[in-house]
Amino acid sequence: MEKIKKILKRNSDSVVKNDEIAGLDRRGFFRKTGAMSAIAAASVMAPSALRATEDDPNIMHHPDWGQSWGDPVTKNRYGMPSKYEHNNTRRTTKLLASGNYRAAIAVTPIHESEGIITPNGLFFSRSHGGTAHIDPNKWRLMINGLVEKPIVLTLEELKRYPRITRTHFIECPANGGQEWRRPQYNSLQFAKGFMSCAEWTGVYIKTILKDLGLKPNAKWMLAEGSDNSEMGRSVPVEKVLDDAMLVWGQNGEALRPEQGYPVRLLLPGWEGNLCVKWLKRLEFAEEPWYAKEETSKYTALKPTGKAIQHFYANEVNSTVVTPSPEKPWTNLKEGDMVEIEGLAWSGMGTITRVDLSFDGGNNYVKANLKGLILPKCWTRWSYMYKIPKGFKNPDGKQIILTSRAMDDAGFIQPTVDQEIFGKDVSAEYLKAALEDNSKIDKNKGMGVESVYHRNAIESWEVAENGEVNHVQIRTI
Amino acid sequence: MFKSELYKIIATSLVATVVLASSAQAEESAYNGLWNAKKDISGGVYYPIKDGKTGPYYVNPQVYEDSDIAKGKDGLKVGYNFGRLATQNELLAWDKDIMPDGTGLPEGYGYVDEGEALYEAKCIACHGDFGSGGGGYPALAAGKGKEMKRTLTNNRWLNPTAEGPVRMFGSYWPVASTMFWYIRDAMPHQKSKTLTDNETYSLVAYMLYINDMKVHGEIVNETFKLDREKFMKIEMPNRNGFIPDIDGPNGIENVREFFAKAENYGGIRLAKGEEPCMENCQSTDNILRVDGGITEFEPPMSVVRDLPPQESDPARIVTFNPQAAYANDCAMCHDNGVAPKAGDTAGWAPFLEKGYPQLLKNAIEGTNNGMPAKGGSSLNDEEFEQVIKYILGQ
Repeated sequence: MEKIKKILKRNSDSVVKNDEIAGLDRRGFFRKTGAMSAIAAASVMAPSALRATEDDPNIMHHPDWGQSWGDPVTKNRYGMPSKYEHNNTRRTTKLLASGNYRAAIAVTPIHESEGIITPNGLFFSRSHGGTAHIDPNKWRLMINGLVEKPIVLTLEELKRYPRITRTHFIECPANGGQEWRRPQYNSLQFAKGFMSCAEWTGVYIKTILKDLGLKPNAKWMLAEGSDNSEMGRSVPVEKVLDDAMLVWGQNGEALRPEQGYPVRLLLPGWEGNLCVKWLKRLEFAEEPWYAKEETSKYTALKPTGKAIQHFYANEVNSTVVTPSPEKPWTNLKEGDMVEIEGLAWSGMGTITRVDLSFDGGNNYVKANLKGLILPKCWTRWSYMYKIPKGFKNPDGKQIILTSRAMDDAGFIQPTVDQEIFGKDVSAEYLKAALEDNSKIDKNKGMGVESVYHRNAIESWEVAENGEVNHVQIRTI
Repeated sequence: MFKSELYKIIATSLVATVVLASSAQAEESAYNGLWNAKKDISGGVYYPIKDGKTGPYYVNPQVYEDSDIAKGKDGLKVGYNFGRLATQNELLAWDKDIMPDGTGLPEGYGYVDEGEALYEAKCIACHGDFGSGGGGYPALAAGKGKEMKRTLTNNRWLNPTAEGPVRMFGSYWPVASTMFWYIRDAMPHQKSKTLTDNETYSLVAYMLYINDMKVHGEIVNETFKLDREKFMKIEMPNRNGFIPDIDGPNGIENVREFFAKAENYGGIRLAKGEEPCMENCQSTDNILRVDGGITEFEPPMSVVRDLPPQESDPARIVTFNPQAAYANDCAMCHDNGVAPKAGDTAGWAPFLEKGYPQLLKNAIEGTNNGMPAKGGSSLNDEEFEQVIKYILGQ
């Protein structure tokens, strides 16, 4: 208990206090700044902390860009990021790709993400037969099966329906799926980047169906892509009549080809794989289809040998974004103030709370949600922190940052062991199981073979030099 | 595949949206959650359109059900009438899916030995000998399906190097219709929708053969003939290996019931009013580190803000290695007997009959005989031509 008290005390000490920021040399500061208000002064560091040893040449000399013409407005008619941002890019690895990168995924650099919107060029890209390039003039959507009127729509006709705009993340259910047994990526981009978040514009499918006359015995909808792999999935009609959308707009412009241009299905909160791209057909029937990506893949094998099929919503999840293995604390020293920032998301609802641990999930403090808090959407959270000596906790161990989110469906992220062995896992249970594996209750937990829907808490260990490394915390 | 005649039409005046609303209300009383009460089929929160809003979003009340205007009270009648009716031929052309009950499965037949020949010509480059896999493409068999099914209870809980579960067609897939549908409409990967129904029957027969499977009690041997009738009698060892049961009239409710219980899928739902653990929550003594891990990222990880290497950078051209590009982009097919190897002068001679420029053009644009444009590589024209010259031994 003594240890806990110390940690809690240290954490409360870390909360920003304005008089700490203002520094000790306030009086001298006021003398120099004269009429400056106390409020303004309180938000500025004391000058002693900023004293330079020499003049900065970046200030003392005119830069090139300040003494010559810039580009004319006629250049880059479709704007591009600064050329200095070329490392901010999607990435892949052989493990996540077929031999020629056509059945593959390229993941989002969320360590560079700002706010809750992923720029279209960085939105993660997954395909089962390569990115299709569709001529929008030749694109058709067929809606058939258990409807009174089986119809064909052109893109122009589809866009005549009343449109809605929603901000939702899309997450591949294999996000984190390579790390059931141990952490494999010392990288936030690869550990959590199988997801992105955007503002989508399109039409509720229920608006279209109202016109077509959905028959009452229609229980399932097949969504089928027109790409090389004809990606198809079965969706319960209940979701279709709730918030399912056909979208053509992404962050204020047309969908990118990687996102299914010209039209994809969007099932807010549900597996990215269900949000079929390059959409060509919706069919309604009384029974599900057993498409390839809802049988051979995207099914979660449990320890009992039975696999969960039709696993829909991505469960509540979160991660620390800064720091991360890509964005370490190597340039920080004892006493520096830093904002720990992260993301939380849930396909089951709205984020209600995020807690942050400095010891890998043993003790937590409440973090602060900030910005817009929307259903089935990335949510930013923040915690202000003062760097301790050697990046160590009071007990002498290195800091391990772990976040834990909750949503309005009542869900909380499990620990790594809880997700694998079940909610009531204990050290005693695991000790017995280590000695004799047959003591494991196969009816509890997800085991380590399910591949999909991993949402256990994620941990970053901060080394003595400020490097940040991906770790997994196990009970024993 | 549409088949209204097979469905028993349930006589009801309820439209599906009303069914949805009433089932969501039934959920409310059963749910013992923390915050919002109404749950959807996935166990998540249901945000109905109410008072002109859904969750935080405003909607145009003229459009949606609960508005007087949408109900027609203000002269705005429901009915967009966009698009046009699909023709019968269009429905036949696009409605090609195949369901487990055989809906959509065409008449036809095929043989294991013909399937094997097709497999070796069109599939082996990616899926390996006898479906052994490779190059990031899925393996299709790993011995007898029924025996491999036993591995599905393997779990590398505490021993990461133990043998894991084998999830193949024979050991894992619940139904065979998926295989026919997928092969015919999505394979071969670089030139899909080019196989006939009979060729597809042959390939499915070969899949049954390499997975040592049975059709109506009969082991599939090298001379086995598969037709539609036999297809419907394929025995899938793992037919009952999936939860919840999505079939039949209770399918949807089974799904709802399954996802209403968090422990069914590794979730933790706090009880009403329950506070999460904040102190002394778990022992953190065992810290698993990445220990090597996966570091071969494409492109390599960097957060540096500098100028990108220029396309015209002479260093880039000098360091371009056609042999390495061949290994990366071409060898999967060209070293696997699907097409001539690099340096195989005799093998390449017929391709040069129409001259080098024609060969180069075909290679850049792709052909109907399986060569994808530039072999599916992302090389530029200059780099690609260097690879062609390397392949031709020039």
